[in-house]
Amino acid sequence: MTLETVVFGLVALALLGGSLGVVLTPNLFHAVLYLAGALVATAVVFLLLDAAFLFAVQLLLYAGGVVTVLVFAIMLTERLIGERITQTNRHVVNGAVMSAAVFVGIAGFIVRSSLPAAESAPADRTVELARALVGPFAPTLELLGVLLVAALLGAVYFARTED
Amino acid sequence: MAAPGLAAYLILAALVFTIGLFGVLTRRNAIGILLGIELMLNAVNINLVAFARFEADLAGLIFTLFVIAITVAEVGVGLAIVIAIFRVRRTVDADHLNLLRG
Amino acid sequence: MTLTSLIVLGLPFASFAAIALVRPLRRAGRVAGWLSIGAIACAFVAALAVWRAAPGTEAMWAWIPSDEEPMVTVGVLLDELSSAMLVLVTLVSLLVQVYSLAYLEAEPAPSLGRYYAYQSLFAFSMLGLVLSPTFVQMFVFWELVGLCSYLLIGYWYDRPSAARAAVKAFWITKLGDVGFILGIILLWGATGTFEFSALFEMARSGQIPLAGLSLTMFLIYLGAVGKSAQFPLHVWLPDAMEGPTPVSALIHAATMVTAGVFMVTRTMPLFELVPGVLTLIAWVGAFTAFLAATMACVEADIKRVLAYSTVSQLGYMMAAAGAGASAAAFFHLGTHGVFKALLFLGAGAVIHAVGTNDIFRMGGLFRTLPRTGTVFVIATLALAGVWPLAGFFSKEAVLAGVLHGHLAGPFVLLALTAFLTAFYMFRVVFIAFFGRPHDVHGHPHEAPPLMAVPLWILAGLTIGIGLRFVIHPPEGEHGPAWLAPLSLGLAAAGFVLAWATYHVRIVSAAMLATLFGPIDYLARRRYGLDALYAGLYGAFILGFSRLVGWVDRYVVDGVLNVLSAWTLRGGDVLRRMQSGQPQDYVYGVAFGVLLLFVWAQFWR
Repeated sequence: MTLETVVFGLVALALLGGSLGVVLTPNLFHAVLYLAGALVATAVVFLLLDAAFLFAVQLLLYAGGVVTVLVFAIMLTERLIGERITQTNRHVVNGAVMSAAVFVGIAGFIVRSSLPAAESAPADRTVELARALVGPFAPTLELLGVLLVAALLGAVYFARTED
Repeated sequence: MAAPGLAAYLILAALVFTIGLFGVLTRRNAIGILLGIELMLNAVNINLVAFARFEADLAGLIFTLFVIAITVAEVGVGLAIVIAIFRVRRTVDADHLNLLRG
Repeated sequence: MTLTSLIVLGLPFASFAAIALVRPLRRAGRVAGWLSIGAIACAFVAALAVWRAAPGTEAMWAWIPSDEEPMVTVGVLLDELSSAMLVLVTLVSLLVQVYSLAYLEAEPAPSLGRYYAYQSLFAFSMLGLVLSPTFVQMFVFWELVGLCSYLLIGYWYDRPSAARAAVKAFWITKLGDVGFILGIILLWGATGTFEFSALFEMARSGQIPLAGLSLTMFLIYLGAVGKSAQFPLHVWLPDAMEGPTPVSALIHAATMVTAGVFMVTRTMPLFELVPGVLTLIAWVGAFTAFLAATMACVEADIKRVLAYSTVSQLGYMMAAAGAGASAAAFFHLGTHGVFKALLFLGAGAVIHAVGTNDIFRMGGLFRTLPRTGTVFVIATLALAGVWPLAGFFSKEAVLAGVLHGHLAGPFVLLALTAFLTAFYMFRVVFIAFFGRPHDVHGHPHEAPPLMAVPLWILAGLTIGIGLRFVIHPPEGEHGPAWLAPLSLGLAAAGFVLAWATYHVRIVSAAMLATLFGPIDYLARRRYGLDALYAGLYGAFILGFSRLVGWVDRYVVDGVLNVLSAWTLRGGDVLRRMQSGQPQDYVYGVAFGVLLLFVWAQFWR
C-alpha cells in the first residue's frame, strides 16, 4: 500500500461523503457546507494528480467564491431566522434508479475500455500552462474574459432592485 | 496495492457525477439543484485532470481551467435569476416554478 | 331525309336550350311558349315531309370507340314505324302546347317558361327515342323521357301530392328500366352488338343463341311494363294525373306511355324468337286491360277514369303485340293517341270551366258547354269502338290479331274489357254532361279559342281517320265475320247499361255494386297494389336506407371519430410531458443518455 493509495482512499471517502451530504441533507445551509468540503477534497485530488495550479484555483474560486455566493443566495431567499430551511425530496426512488443506471452505463464504458497505464509523475506543468494560455489559447482566454463580463452584467441586471 | 490508476479516478468521478445527478433530479429547492450541478461539474473536472495526468496532455488542464471559470460565471448568473424569481414569486420551490407548463 | 329527320329532332332541342339557358326568355313566359310552339310546328312540317317521302334509311355515327368497330353508335333509323311516330308525336305536342297557353294562362311567367322548356325537352326526348337505331340510344332517350315525365308531373312542385306522384312515377318506371338495361346488356353479351339492324339480321339468320334468350327478352320487356303501365307496374299512371291536364294528354296518353309498345313492336323480330315471352306479354296485356277497366268503373275523378282507360288500352296494344299482330298494335297506338288526347284535352276544358275534377260535382254540362260536350262524346264513341270512327277499326284489328294468335283467354278478357270500356266512358258522359247540374262553382264558360281549336282538330282527325278506313278498309288480318258485330254489340251493351244506370236510372248503381261486390270492393281499393308497394318500399328500401345510414354514422364516421379522439387523447397525454419543471426535463436527458449508452455498447 503506497502512501498515494492511502491518501487517495481517504480523499475519495471525503469527496463521496461530502457529495452525499450535499444531496441528502434536508438543511440547505448544511448542504452548502458539505459542498465546500467536497470542493476541498476535489482540490486535493487535483493535487494528487500533479496539477498544483488547479489545486490553487479550485480552492480560491470554488471553495472560496462559489460557496460564498451560494451562502449569500440562500440567505437572501430563505428566511433563516424563524423558519426551518427544510425540504423534502421528490421522487427519490426514481432519481436513485435513474442515477444508478447512468452510473452503470458510465462504469461499463470505463471498465471495457483500455486505459493507459500510470506513467512517471511529470514535472510541474504550471509554466507550460501559462505559456499555453497566452500562446495558442490566448483568444480563448480573451473570450473567457468577455464571457465573464457578460455574466457580470447579467447578474447585475437580474439582481437589481426595481426602481 | 499499486498507485491508483486512471480507472480509479474515473470511477470516482463517475460516482460524484451520479450523486450530483441524483441531487439535480430530487432536490426541491432551486438552489439545491444548483448544488447538484456543481457536483456534476466537479466530477467532470476530475475526469479532465485525470486524463491530463495519465495521457500527459496539457489540454485537459486548460480545459479544466476554463470550465472552472465558466462555472463560476454560471453560478453567479444562476443565483441572480433565482433571486429575481424569489422576488416575484416569493418561493424557490422548483415544484411551483412551472410556468412553462404545456 | 336524314337531314330532315335531324331537323325534326333538333328544333325542339334548340327551343329547350334557348329557353333553359336564356334567362330573360324563360322569365317572359308566353314568349317562351310561342318559341316552343314555333319550333314544334316546324318540326311537325318536317315530320310530314319525312313521312311523305319513302322512308327506309339509316344513318349511324360512332360514339364510344372500341377495337375495330365502335362499341356504341348513334344515329337515326327511318322506316314506316318511326316516321309515323314522328308525325304523331310532333302533332300531339303541337296541339298540346297551343292548348297549354290557354290552360295555364294563370301561371306566373317564369313558371310558364319552365313548363315550355320541359315540353320542348320532352318532344326532343320522345323523337330521339323513336328515331333510335340502337338499344343504347333508345335507353338514353327512354331515361330522358322518364325524366321529363317526372319534371312535368311535378310541375306544381309545391303541392305535396304532385311531388309524391312524380317520385312514384319515377321509381316505378325505374324498376322496369333496371330490367331493361339488364336485358340490353345480356343481349349484347350474347350477340356483341346493340344495333337493331344487325340484331334483326342475326335473328333472321338464326345466329342468336337461344339459350337464356327468354330471360333476356323478358328483362327487356320489363322496361315496357314500367313505361307502358302494365300490371303490376301500372300504379304510377293514375297518380300521374297530378300534373296539368295537357301534360296528361301528351305524355300519359299519346306519347310516353306508348314508348313501351313502340319498343316491343320495333324489336318484334327478336321477340318472335321467344314465343313464350310473347304469350306472356299477351296475357299480361289482356289482364291489365281488364283490371284497369274494372277500376275505371268506380272512379269519381274524371282524369283518373281516363288514366285507367289509358292503362286498359295499353293493355290492348300489348296483347296484340304479344299475339304477333304488331301492325294492329301500332294501328291502335296511333288511333288511341288521337282520341285519348282529345278526351284529356276535353276533360281539361271541362275542369278549366268548372273548377273541379269530380264528376259527381258536375252535371248537365252539355247545356252549358255544348261544343266541348260534342267533342267529348265523339272521342268517347271512338274509344268505345263505334263505327265509323277510328277506334272501331283499330280495336277490331287488335281483337282479330289476338284471335289469330290462338289466344282464347286474352280474347275473352279483351272482349269483356270492350264492354266495360263503353260502360265506364258513357257513365262519365251521362253523369257529367247530362242529368241535373250539381252545385257548380263559378259559372262554366266555353273554352277559349286556343283550347278549342286543338280540340276540333283532334275531333276532325278522329272522324277523318275513321272515314279513311271506311273507304279503304285496312290491310292485315281481318277477324271472322262475327267479330265486327260482336265488338259493336259489346259497345252497345255497355252504352245501354250506362244509360240505364246513370241516365234514366232504372238500374240502380248500388245494386250493380253489390252484384259485383268483391270486384267492386277491390277495385275501389285499387286491388291493394298501392298499399303493397308502399309496404315493400317502407320495409325494404327504407329499412336498407336506415341500415346504410347507421353504417355511415357509426362505422364510417365512427372510425374517423375514434381516430380523432385518439389523436386528441394522445396529444393530451403527450402534453403532460411538458410539466414545466426542468427536473423532469433532466430526467429526459438522462434517459436519452442511457439510451445512447446502450446503443453505443451493443450496436457499434
